[in-house]
Amino acid sequence: MGDIILTMKGIDKSFPGVHALDHVDLEVRKGEVLALMGENGAGKSTLMKVLTGIYKKDSGTITYEGKEVEFKNTREAQDAGIVIVHQELNMLGHLTVAQNLFIGREFKKGIRIDDRKMNEEAQKLFERLNVNIDPRETMSNLTVGKQQMCEIAKAVSFDAKVIIFDEPSAALTESEIEEMFKIIRDLKKKDIAMVYISHRMDEIKVITDRVTVMRDGTYVGTLITEKCTKEDIINMMVGRVIYEDPKTESAVPKDAPVVLKVEHLNAGRMVQDVSFELHKGEILGFSGLMGAGRTETARALFGADPKESGDIYINGNKVTINNPQDAVNCGIGYLSEDRKRYGIVVQKTVAENTTMASMNDFMNGIFINKNKEKEVADKYVEALATKTPDVDQLVVNLSGGNQQKVVIAKWLTRNSDILIFDEPTRGIDVGAKNEIYKLMNRLVAEGKSIIMISSEMTEILRMSDRIVVMCEGKKTGELDISEAKQETIMNLATREIE
Amino acid sequence: MANKKAFGKLKGREAMVLGIVIAMVVLFSILSPTFRSYPTFVSVLDNSYYITLMALGVTFPLITGGVDLSIGTGLVSYALIGGYLVVHKGVPIGVGILVCILVGLLIGVFNGVLVAVMDLPPFLATLCTCMITRGLGPALCSSMGVSWPSALSEQGAFRKIFKFTSASGTVIPIGIVFMIVLVVIMSFVLDHTRVGRYILAIGSNKEATRLAGVNVKFYHMMAYMISGLFAGMAGVAYAATYATIYPGSGAGFELDAIGGAIVGGVSASGGVGTILGTFLGVFVICLMKVGLPFIGLQANWQQIFTGIVLIAAVLVDVVKKKK
Amino acid sequence: MKKKVLAVLLSAAMVMSLAACGGGGGGDAKTDDGGSAADSGTTAADDNAGSDDSAGGDKGYSFEIIVKSFQSTYWQAAVQGIEQACGELGVKANSNGPANESDIADQITMINDAIEKKPDGIGLAACDTKSVVDSLQKALEAGIPVVCFDTGVDEAPEGSVYATVATDNEAAGAVAAENMFPVIEEKIKAATTDKKVRIGEVNQDATALNIQQRGKGFINKMLELCTDAGKKVAVVGNEYYVNATEGTVAEGEAEVIIEVGVPAQTTVDLASTEAQKIMSKDDTIAIFGSNQTTAEGVITANQTLNKLAADPAEGIIGVGFDAGTPQKEAITNGQFIGSVTQSPLMMGYECIYTLTDIADGKDVSDLPMDGYWYNKDNMEAEDIAPNLYD
Repeated sequence: MGDIILTMKGIDKSFPGVHALDHVDLEVRKGEVLALMGENGAGKSTLMKVLTGIYKKDSGTITYEGKEVEFKNTREAQDAGIVIVHQELNMLGHLTVAQNLFIGREFKKGIRIDDRKMNEEAQKLFERLNVNIDPRETMSNLTVGKQQMCEIAKAVSFDAKVIIFDEPSAALTESEIEEMFKIIRDLKKKDIAMVYISHRMDEIKVITDRVTVMRDGTYVGTLITEKCTKEDIINMMVGRVIYEDPKTESAVPKDAPVVLKVEHLNAGRMVQDVSFELHKGEILGFSGLMGAGRTETARALFGADPKESGDIYINGNKVTINNPQDAVNCGIGYLSEDRKRYGIVVQKTVAENTTMASMNDFMNGIFINKNKEKEVADKYVEALATKTPDVDQLVVNLSGGNQQKVVIAKWLTRNSDILIFDEPTRGIDVGAKNEIYKLMNRLVAEGKSIIMISSEMTEILRMSDRIVVMCEGKKTGELDISEAKQETIMNLATREIE
Repeated sequence: MANKKAFGKLKGREAMVLGIVIAMVVLFSILSPTFRSYPTFVSVLDNSYYITLMALGVTFPLITGGVDLSIGTGLVSYALIGGYLVVHKGVPIGVGILVCILVGLLIGVFNGVLVAVMDLPPFLATLCTCMITRGLGPALCSSMGVSWPSALSEQGAFRKIFKFTSASGTVIPIGIVFMIVLVVIMSFVLDHTRVGRYILAIGSNKEATRLAGVNVKFYHMMAYMISGLFAGMAGVAYAATYATIYPGSGAGFELDAIGGAIVGGVSASGGVGTILGTFLGVFVICLMKVGLPFIGLQANWQQIFTGIVLIAAVLVDVVKKKK
Repeated sequence: MKKKVLAVLLSAAMVMSLAACGGGGGGDAKTDDGGSAADSGTTAADDNAGSDDSAGGDKGYSFEIIVKSFQSTYWQAAVQGIEQACGELGVKANSNGPANESDIADQITMINDAIEKKPDGIGLAACDTKSVVDSLQKALEAGIPVVCFDTGVDEAPEGSVYATVATDNEAAGAVAAENMFPVIEEKIKAATTDKKVRIGEVNQDATALNIQQRGKGFINKMLELCTDAGKKVAVVGNEYYVNATEGTVAEGEAEVIIEVGVPAQTTVDLASTEAQKIMSKDDTIAIFGSNQTTAEGVITANQTLNKLAADPAEGIIGVGFDAGTPQKEAITNGQFIGSVTQSPLMMGYECIYTLTDIADGKDVSDLPMDGYWYNKDNMEAEDIAPNLYD
């Protein structure tokens, strides 16, 4: 194993209300592949963003090739030889492969762009990497796998000495992953250091040399891949006591009726043959890592995205849900993970958002009964303790927690019996979180049923009566709260692919 | 109470536009003695009816974040078709008016289907119907100009809807009364009915509105239907005010209406706007069209000046928002 | 004005008889197979061929005539004139034209088809003067003479267009002034620098050649008449027309003011605003709208102002141009004292005569056509009524 090329020491970074990185250390050597692992929100991405100058660190030192550095932006990092290959492809579909590779640093002939030279250079680059891609091809005509290769080629073309792969395999097929690994092994031989962020345990075992684990913004430790087991890694990732009084057993009676039954739901790659049941008065937690297909399942169920197949039963009756309207009429309400985009109409008032899903109850002939609207909105502002001067306030002016309450009020006004909470407390401060939890408990006590999608282990263990775990678009397990442990859930969520 | 508050919030913009209107009237009156006369006042109103109607309608697509470019050539085309039936096919004037409005509504539905159901960009879809309507009228009417019956003839009574001449010869612009009635009705539609509520919501956040279980396709389409309906009514107003409808004209009329709505505070990116604002904004445009010739500004300068004033009016809004 | 019409008719008759004398032998002239001609109603004259009731006799020529828009009444009047001439001369003409004046491409196809038929001549009213140049070149190469009517083609290839029969717009504008002047003569004579009188003119634009000529024709004639009456005249308003006029004085010194209004865009509302601006002024005694749009603008403005009158003592004298129902009504009910019309009928008529002359091998030259004054009294006259489209 080669010399150390990059050392990050005591990196500290805080955002308002969050201590994202707490004195984290990291060490990368020439010609190695270092896995960086951790749960959602452990701080992996933040650390890499600090490294490449997207975020400014509060304290700590970065030593690169023996010198202390601090990059102001990704461009500076790139010039120094540190490049990120992103999970989402940052390619411009209309341009050719070569144009994409050299965007922002085109070869010029006078004032004219020298396309021929760009194509030649791209060709040389691909030959070096043993990839078969035509530089003249339009980017959008390539498969996702080939596009990923282009990303890597682009990174290499910067004369990179350190390449960071941020979940590079998320969108790739088995054979494409194999091809990518071939390139990574080649790069290793050229003494290039690589950081590999992934949740896929089997890949980690195959391609990486060492594993550094992070948890809750802290450095936990580093293992030699060859000498450790999957369980070792998971224990390091989880290794924390849940102190926020997790539920020990389900509050739902065994004979509670099934209000919602989903059978063999299919919708693209992210939702494959998902089946589950939801009982009256139950909170059903959906756990899994980022990109496990939980939100996609909820959206397909709600009719927000088209589904390929699958049956849905409400209270034992088969129903057809082709669009959100159908779902709402079936008594389902959906609280999106992205409130600003999908939950609230920001330019409208609290009252108007509250009644958005149930206009029918507020009509006097063809006119909206604004007095009644205000009355109901007032009622929910009080019941949910929403902090707003009055119900005529535009919701854009409310805090995240209070916006979430307005969305909840919308579905309560509609009298929805089944509520899907997608990351209900994301971006909400601790105090407001507890209020939302209390509210959810109250709702199920009143006989509503809740599907709660959450990436926070504590939240899952604290709120759920039962837990469905998903991984790569498939349901990988279902646990009663009494048998659920962090380790079991994490194991299901990172199940190795066959 | 709720209404009063909502009105209070928007009052700023509307008060500003009203201020501009008053300032323009004062300015033109000082600069041109002939401007400050009753006939000129009537003439400003005369020239405003068809633009007002177009603007009231197009406010709805604008609020959804779209646009309707087909209203200008549309209204000419609808008036041509209606007038052709009356003058050359001998149908009663009432039927002609009805046809004019209904064809407008039909094109509105067509636009709505293109935009809301088939997901074409509004600019593109309505640009195409703009071309279609430009050819439609002349195609159906043998390319002839059509003069609806004049006010003096028996069938010309419909012209009196907009301008009534009393026995003593006094001209009473009663059209403005109808405009005000329509402004009140459409304000009500926008603020107090589901259609208005959802159209505003679509303009503000279409996806969130859809996820609330709203039939967004239908309400999105409604916006274009309203626009088409009002373009049809604008066709009637145009036919009633002017002598001959010329085939192929009308391109550019929509810009007066859209300009008026934008000056009146309708956000070009959707979600925000009031009918009263649009109504007042239209008067800024119309005063300019009538006032600038009166103060002796020559043709080319009128256009330049109009452009500058529009920029100023919109800029005020942008600057205010940045603060 | 009737005199002028008469003069034209007379001269036409002379041309006719000359043509008869010249006598192009009918035998050697190409004749159409009749099939294509028969499907067109416009060749009814064919039946008269050889009959002895006309001064012309059977010439046996066949012409292709292409107008701007076959359906509009204006062009139907032209076709009427064509038929009349055919009947008199015993020639055949097949008339055609696109559905709309803006269907430029259709018209080009029609011209090219016409060339294929190898007629003895082509009469053309071009929709777009630039687009037809290629076709004219083709006609030249095919040796087919072309006569343009109604609209001249400035950029026509040398030798392709033998003659142009079109309204002399300058003269037509002057006709309006000549007829307006006698009515307001008293008022003009009474004018002083302290008590000026104003004559308005609304022109649709300051760019189109025919509108420019018409506008200037009116101004110059009115200027001449007023100057002859011993009055000093100023022209104010649109820069183009002001600059195009000579022999005027500054506004302050003038006794008569001619004010020219041009709308910012060629829309009816702006045209009426321009008219209203001028008509609102207290010293305005007369106004002229120099095409259909602006004449109707004057009428629209009057709906509010109610100032137009047939008697100068009662209000403003109005004069228009071209026709259309609103203008005809305005004349009937005394709002306009009259208007000037072009004569599509006469242009069609002259076109056939010119084509026949060419076929006969005679030299021809451009034929400027007059504008014809019409008012309440002669609107129904045989030589006027067909020109007055609805």
